Amino acid sequence: MLTLTVNGAQHSIDAEADTPLLWVLRDELHLTGTKFGCGAGLCGACTVLLEGKPVRSCLIPASAVEGKPITTIEGLSKDKSHPVQRAWIAESVPQCGYCQSGMILAAAALLATNPRPSDADIDMAITNVCRCGTYNHVRRAIHRAAESEA
Amino acid sequence: MRDPRPLELPIISRRKFVHSAVAASGLAVGGLALSLDVPAQERAGWPRGAARPPRDPAAFLQIGADDVITIISPAVEMGQGGHTSLPMIIVEELGGRWDKVRVMDAAAAPIYRNPMFGQQSTVGSFSVRGWYTELRRIGAAARTMLVAAAARRWRVPEHECSVVQSEILHSRTARRCSFGSVARLAAKMPVPQQPALKQTSEFKVIGTSPPRVDIRDKVDGSARYGIDAVLPDMLYAAIRTSPTLGGKLKSFDDSACRSIAGYEKSVALPDGVVVIARSYWQARKALERLRIDFDPGPLATLTSAKVSARLREGFDEPGTVARNDGNADAALARAAKTLEAVYEVPYLAHATMEPMNCTARVTSDGCEVWCGTQSPQSAQAGAAKALGIPPERVKVHTQYLGGGFGRRGEADYVVQAVTAAKATDGRPVKLIWSREEDIQHDFYRPAAAVRFRGGLDGNGRLVALDCKVVTASAPAFGRPGGPPFYTEGISDANYQIPNFHVSGVDQNLGVRFGFWRSVNDSHNPFMLEGFIDELAREAKQDPYLFRRTMLQGENPNARRQLALLDLLAAKSGWQHPPAGHALGITALSAFGSFVGAVAEVSMQDQIVTLHRVALGIDCGVAVHPDNIAAQCEGGMVFGLTAALRGEITLENGAVMQSNFHDYPVLQLVEMPLVDCYIMPSTAPPGGVGEPSTATIAPALANAIYAASNLRLRSLPMTRHQLGFRTVRT
Repeated sequence: MLTLTVNGAQHSIDAEADTPLLWVLRDELHLTGTKFGCGAGLCGACTVLLEGKPVRSCLIPASAVEGKPITTIEGLSKDKSHPVQRAWIAESVPQCGYCQSGMILAAAALLATNPRPSDADIDMAITNVCRCGTYNHVRRAIHRAAESEA
Repeated sequence: MRDPRPLELPIISRRKFVHSAVAASGLAVGGLALSLDVPAQERAGWPRGAARPPRDPAAFLQIGADDVITIISPAVEMGQGGHTSLPMIIVEELGGRWDKVRVMDAAAAPIYRNPMFGQQSTVGSFSVRGWYTELRRIGAAARTMLVAAAARRWRVPEHECSVVQSEILHSRTARRCSFGSVARLAAKMPVPQQPALKQTSEFKVIGTSPPRVDIRDKVDGSARYGIDAVLPDMLYAAIRTSPTLGGKLKSFDDSACRSIAGYEKSVALPDGVVVIARSYWQARKALERLRIDFDPGPLATLTSAKVSARLREGFDEPGTVARNDGNADAALARAAKTLEAVYEVPYLAHATMEPMNCTARVTSDGCEVWCGTQSPQSAQAGAAKALGIPPERVKVHTQYLGGGFGRRGEADYVVQAVTAAKATDGRPVKLIWSREEDIQHDFYRPAAAVRFRGGLDGNGRLVALDCKVVTASAPAFGRPGGPPFYTEGISDANYQIPNFHVSGVDQNLGVRFGFWRSVNDSHNPFMLEGFIDELAREAKQDPYLFRRTMLQGENPNARRQLALLDLLAAKSGWQHPPAGHALGITALSAFGSFVGAVAEVSMQDQIVTLHRVALGIDCGVAVHPDNIAAQCEGGMVFGLTAALRGEITLENGAVMQSNFHDYPVLQLVEMPLVDCYIMPSTAPPGGVGEPSTATIAPALANAIYAASNLRLRSLPMTRHQLGFRTVRT
């Protein structure tokens, strides 16, 4: 039995200790906004926030994060009102959208520690892969979110 | 214990919604008897003639008493914007309010087959250009029916009524009513056989960029992709297929799997095994313990080196003639100068961000599948064939696609899921591929090689061009007697070359291949436009002006390509690039549009710095300009990844790449600045999802030559020991 703190709520979950956090979130808690992309920590589609920092949930055994606060895309805001989400809507960032939960969480984590990131800061922080090629929209939306909070 | 909260079942409730919406709402009130077949005139043959009634509006839009306009999209949504642009076309003629629009995916049914090519598939950049006229007629027919209903209620002549923003107005008596208030009556009105359409100058919706309908659900995780399907009692499955392409399953032993908690069973496929468990992670763990014996099959000795040799052997075969203007051989013999070159590209994988997956439930009643598919028709047919039941007994619940790019036009993963679900006594099974399966068992963009021979006259004019294209041929769409499909991007060039010969050799090496964003235009324009650049240099002419010379005259396609070329030259500052920078240019037509690019680079120590990309497109009527620009930019990125580093290699019949570490795609840090220019036009729409993919490789290669005199005749660029970076200043 695992006890996880996800989006502010505690969950007791019957899953083997080695089950990656990704699959616990998706298959046990039905928080399907967190996506499976590579299973190897390479693409970032599975990004969640662990104690506020972006991590790749496909590589983390759920048992390793018991008791630590986890935020998924579903928990970023109740009503799409997080500045990053609002900027994402305003800039029409997503295309297929599959990578965007991870992108948005990576962007939110960046802005939480660096409210006015430069292009170089964004280059360093956003290592999520997007196959549709939305990167320039992502960059614009991060700047927009930063400006909206300034 | 699973989470005790009630399961969210959005998919099932949506299915119910379809029934209730059809039964209860106004315009679709006849929906219980709604035929989802196409009219007999259309069934008789594709493409169809113009003088026939529109398809039944009730299959495409439903208007509720609450004024909500539910549009059933015949195109799936894979990020290309089909769920927005197609409804915009209906709403334009309907006169509806955009903020009242909701969009659903169509079921698999003949009435949703694209009028341009007769399949229910979202492929080939066919959605807007294939549906443009039909959806306008459908929207206009529905508007006419709504007006007829209001006129009858008010006892006034229909022609005195007008429609504005989801309301019908009768100005003489100062009456107005909403669509929703007359929708039920409207459904009983006759469907007009030849509804009148607006002039393009009257458009209010087409040509604007309203927010895409799928955006909001894609910022909070609520968008449902195939992989997100959740059903009661669902099992999960992982898969391993033969590491050797074309290999077959001999036997498997699952005795070691049985100690894995949750393991249910393994199911044999012709080329692999599906392992089923109560959770996906359990299925993956059991798969690791499964012992499988494969027959490696006929490709067991195939290597990339052999592929390349076999392609080049094709140059000596006569091939099928795709174009033959004048007499290229004779003109080459007479030419003042001749040039010969061979260009080559490797296999490519699609690598959609969402790995292949499908959820299937098989019962005595039939079968239901939940998946992202570009072809509900193929998914339905594939499942039906696997089960030996009629297609009508397979329900396809189309979900959002986490990328398509041609890969999801195939139904292999649907067949696998259905085969597994047949063995679970009615319990649904969600099959998810690993990324490794995805990279190693794709329907690859075929490797290709082209040999060019060009001849210049004494004035440096291109007077003869002979091209031999060798590749595996993707199947042609309904054009019997037409040219080989796989020479497109060369044989349909708009350049005026008096002696122009193109032939193709279908060199099928047994490697599974398929459609990949922009298909043959993903390689042929790189080759042709590179060779044209070589000829311009040989003729000591500016590459832009050399192309200009070949686009003179009255040919409408040449004129549109020339206009685009001129636009790009002007916008990119062709005549005066920044000091130390070099430009490469290309323009071509593809998928019914005219498209081009200028790449601006500088080079130092074998490092290519890409400063900027100017993209231009003339896609006729631009339905949603912002989305067109996004598609052009995204398509360019898809092509840029391929040009820089896209390469699937084979050793002993197996794919050597497996995940994003050895099949890397462009990262944000490498993303160039992009300016996209859309040519104003009232011509019928062309495609936008794919054309730009063709442009970046030739523009970049030509720019690299301009910067360094290094000519890239093969891709990817990593083969040439070149580094790559972008700058944002």
